[in-house]
Amino acid sequence: MGTVHARSMDPLPMHGRDMGVHPDDMIEVQEAEHETKQEVLENKDVVVQHVNIEGLGRTKEDLLGYEISEVFDAKNLIDVMKKSHIARQKLLRLGIFKEVEVVIDTSDGTVCAHKRADALPNGLDVTFEVTEMKRLTGSYNTMVGNNEGSMVLGVKLPNVFGRAEKLTFQFSYGTKETSYGLSFFKPQPGNFERNLTLNLYKVTGQFPWSSLKETDRGVSTELNFPLWRTNHTLKWEGVWRELGCLARSASFAVREESGHTLKSALSHTMSIDNRNSAIFPKKGALLRINQELAGYTGGDASFLKEDFELQVNRRLVWDSVLSASLWGGCLLPIGGRPSSIADRFYLGGPTSVRGFGMYSIGPQSEGDYLGGEAYWAGGLHLYTPLPFRPGRGGFGDLFRTHFFLNAGNLCNLNYGEGPRAHLQRLAECVRWSYGAGIVLRLGNIARLELNYCIPMGVQSGDRICDGVQFGAGIRFL
Amino acid sequence: MSLAAEAFVSQIAAAEPWPENATLYQPLREDQILLSDCASSLAVQAYLRMCNLPVHVSCRSNAEYMSPSGKVPFVHVGNQVVSELGPIVQFTKAKGHSLSDGLDDVQRAEMKAYMELVNNMLLTAEISRPRYSSPYSWPLNQILAYQKQWEVRRKMNAIGWAGKSLEQVYEDVSQCCQALSQRLGTQPYFFNKQPTELDALVFGHLFTILTTRLTSDELGEKIKSYSNLLAFCRRIEQSYFEDSQAGSSSRGYSKGPSLF
Repeated sequence: MGTVHARSMDPLPMHGRDMGVHPDDMIEVQEAEHETKQEVLENKDVVVQHVNIEGLGRTKEDLLGYEISEVFDAKNLIDVMKKSHIARQKLLRLGIFKEVEVVIDTSDGTVCAHKRADALPNGLDVTFEVTEMKRLTGSYNTMVGNNEGSMVLGVKLPNVFGRAEKLTFQFSYGTKETSYGLSFFKPQPGNFERNLTLNLYKVTGQFPWSSLKETDRGVSTELNFPLWRTNHTLKWEGVWRELGCLARSASFAVREESGHTLKSALSHTMSIDNRNSAIFPKKGALLRINQELAGYTGGDASFLKEDFELQVNRRLVWDSVLSASLWGGCLLPIGGRPSSIADRFYLGGPTSVRGFGMYSIGPQSEGDYLGGEAYWAGGLHLYTPLPFRPGRGGFGDLFRTHFFLNAGNLCNLNYGEGPRAHLQRLAECVRWSYGAGIVLRLGNIARLELNYCIPMGVQSGDRICDGVQFGAGIRFL
Repeated sequence: MSLAAEAFVSQIAAAEPWPENATLYQPLREDQILLSDCASSLAVQAYLRMCNLPVHVSCRSNAEYMSPSGKVPFVHVGNQVVSELGPIVQFTKAKGHSLSDGLDDVQRAEMKAYMELVNNMLLTAEISRPRYSSPYSWPLNQILAYQKQWEVRRKMNAIGWAGKSLEQVYEDVSQCCQALSQRLGTQPYFFNKQPTELDALVFGHLFTILTTRLTSDELGEKIKSYSNLLAFCRRIEQSYFEDSQAGSSSRGYSKGPSLF
C-alpha cells in the first residue's frame, strides 16, 4: 500500500469569542489522492494508533488532549479525515495557534526512518503540526473624531501560562479623556465554552442628549458556561461612577445627579441563539434575558433590573427575509432611593426606534433626556437584496435593502399603582415610525444603515429625525 | 458659554424678580461638611438675610459636584445656578439688591482687601479628614477622603501654608482677628451703620469657629479674647437669625448651636 498524505486546506478563520464560523462557510473535506491502487476507501478499516502534536513550545499538552481525543474513534479513512478536520478547528478556536496542519501517515513508518514494532498493517498515525502564536503582540493606532484625537495602544499576550489563557491590555490617551482596560481570560481545559474573564477598566463617556458625562472605574468577573442548548453568563461588577454635567447649561435635574456613586451588582444572562448569522440572519431566533441585582453586595446603587431581547427570522420568497424583534426592560429601585440616570433605559435613535433623535424619547427636562424605568420596543423588518442585484456574489452581497416598522415607549413607573396600571402606561402614547433604507454589513459584527424615516406618534418633548438618518452600530432593533 | 453669552444671560436674569423658591445647597451638616464650607455657607445665608431675600437651605451629599465651579455653597434661583459669595453678591446686585452701594471707591477697595484677608487666613485654618467620608460606602469613602485631603494639601502649598505648624496657624489667626478688631472698633458694623458683605463673611467664619464642636478650643479662645468681635457676632445672630427661628417655619436655616 502506498503512502497516504492528507494535508489540510488553507487556514480557515478562527472560531472562538471574536469571530463566528458559519456552517455555510465550512469547506468540504477533499478526497485524498491515491497513487498506486484504486481502492474503495470507505470500506477499508483502519485503526488510529498514534496522534501526535508537533511544534509545541509553551503550550501544555494536557490541554490539547481533549481536543484531539475523538480522532482515535475513527473507523475508516474518510472518518479519520473528517475527525482530524474537526480536531484542527477545535485547536484553532483556542486562539493560541497561528496555523495547524494535519498529516496522516501509516504506522508502518515509511516516512520515519525506522519501523515500529507495534505497527499494525492498517494502522494510521495522525500528526498535527502547529505553529504557536508569539508571546506578545502589540498594536498602536491613532483615532480622530468628534473634536478629539487619541492614541490607542494595545498589547496582547495569548497563551500566557500554557493553557490558552489570554491577557489583553488596551490604553487610550486622548486630548479630552483617558481610558484603559485590562482583561484576563481563562477557559476550562477540555471545555473551551466554559471560561472565566476578569476585567479591570476605566472608561469615560459623553452623552450629549442628557448633557451628561460619566467616568466609570471598575472591576468585573464573568463566568460563561453552556447548559443544554443555552448559554449562561454570571457576572459580578463593582463600578465607581462619577457623573458630571457636560455643559454649564445642563438642566438642574441632571445637575442633581452629579457626583460619585458606587455600584456593586450581580447579573445573570441567559441566551439561546440558533440564527445562522449575527448580521443578516436568514433563519433562526435569538432570545436573551438579562437580570441585574445591585446593592446586596455593597455600594450605593440598589435596584433590580430586568431586560430581554427577542428576534425571529424567516425566509420568504425571492431571497427576502422577514425579521421581527422585541425588546423590553424594567428597573425597580429597592429601598426607597430613586434610580440614577446612569442605570435607566433610553430609547430612540438609528439603532432603536428609527426616526427619532439619539436616545431622545421619553422623560426630559429642559432638553436633557433623563431616561426611564420601563420600556418596550418592537420592530418588523423585510430585508431584500439590492434591486437588480448589482455586484452579486461579491461586494453586492454585503448590502441589503430593508423596509421597517418600529414602535416603542419609555416611561417612569410610580410604584404602588399595580402592574395593570403600569402596562396601561406603557401602552398609551406609543411612538412609532416606518420607512426604508439600505444596510451594509461590516465584517461579522457591525452594520451601517442609511434610512428614510417617517416618525409618528411623537409626544411633546421628543426630538425627531425625520427624513434621512444614518446609523452605525452593533445592536439594532 | 462664552463671556458675552454669560453676560447676556445674566442681563436677562436681572430682569426677573427674586423668586420664592430660591434654594441654597450645601453638603450634609452632620457628617460631611468641612469647617471652611460651613463658614462659607453661613456667610452666604447671612448676606441674603441682610438683603432681605428669602432662601431655603437644602443639604445634599453631592452638593460639591452639583456646583458649577466645584465650590459650595451655591444657590439655585429661577433657572440660574450661582456659587460662592463673590458671584452671588454680583448676581444680587444685577437684580437690584446691594449692600455696598453706599460705599465710595476707597471704602470698597478696603472692603475687598479685608475680605481677602479673611479668606486667606481663616478659610484654611482647619482641615478634618474623617468628616468627609460618611455618606459613601466602602471603599469609596476612603478614596474620596484621600482625594479631598490631597486637594486641600495642594491648595495649602499654593498659598504657602504647607510648612506651617499649629502654633503658626494660631498666630496667623490671631493677627487676622486683631486687624479685624481694630477696623471694627466700637462701630456696630465694619462700615458704620449698614452691614455689608464683609460683615456677612466675617460673621460666617467667626461664628463657625466659635461654635464648632470639632476642633480644639484654642482657635475659639483666640477670637473670644477680642470682645468687640464676639459682640459683633452676637449682634448679627440676634438681628438676622433669631427672628426667623421664632417666626415662620417655612424657611429653614441651618445654623446649629447658638452663641447663647
